[in-house]
Amino acid sequence: MEQQKYIVFLFPSVSHTLKAEKILKEQGIAHKLIPVPRHIGSDCGVCLRVTADRQDAAESALQGRVNWEEMVFL
Amino acid sequence: MKTTVDARGLACPQPVLLAKKAIAENEEVIVLVDNPIAVENIRRLAEKAACGFSVADKGGGTLEIALTRKRVTDLMPVDSEAIVEELSCASAQEKGPGPFVVVLSDNHMGRGDDVLGDVLIQSFIHTLLQLNPLPDTIICYNAGVKLAAKDSAVLDDLQQLVQAGVNILVCGTCVNYFTLGEKIAVGHISNMYDIAETMAGASRLVRP
Repeated sequence: MEQQKYIVFLFPSVSHTLKAEKILKEQGIAHKLIPVPRHIGSDCGVCLRVTADRQDAAESALQGRVNWEEMVFL
Repeated sequence: MKTTVDARGLACPQPVLLAKKAIAENEEVIVLVDNPIAVENIRRLAEKAACGFSVADKGGGTLEIALTRKRVTDLMPVDSEAIVEELSCASAQEKGPGPFVVVLSDNHMGRGDDVLGDVLIQSFIHTLLQLNPLPDTIICYNAGVKLAAKDSAVLDDLQQLVQAGVNILVCGTCVNYFTLGEKIAVGHISNMYDIAETMAGASRLVRP
């Protein structure tokens, strides 16, 4: 579990994050809504986390539908 | 007018409260105490009330504090409740013997907007995993039991908390009310006896 590699998608707003979450849910891509990790940002923000192996699937699902600001490896 | 208050042997916050009452009624007050916390609390009272403060060690564990008001009008009104809140009572600072309990009484965090509240509770529960120390017990009641159900977005976080040794109590009445009987996927179905006892025995109770 500790060795699991994750990618987080950071969005410009909470509503963008929720929209993206909805898309991932519809596409059946496992994901998790988590607070933006402290080392990335201190704002009271949320982001979407997927396991590294789902990065491509998540990217193509979101591509053109919701713009993310940043994609960060955890 | 001068008076002496013997506050030796009294537990915090009694000494500072007695001192406050005495200085409100007298221009000079001698307070006898037997511990440095009482001295510190009374020193803060003196600062707030803008009166003179001095302390002398009288030996035998007795500390003599002298409070003086220069003029009657010098005394600033000080709110007792505010004093008690700021006290450095040892008993208030020590981590009590009771457990650290988190109460999830709703499946949202805060009131105002449930969509936002949903995001917040997910964030909150995920963040619980990073707390040090972890809660000893998490209690779910009312709509909070939905968080422990199969389709809950925080199920994996709650499961990880259990793995880390956190006890999760799920209100049986609530599970029944929401007909989630077969769906509860984490924690123990519990009753109001355990819930009330755990809450009453907590040293810290956190409710998001």
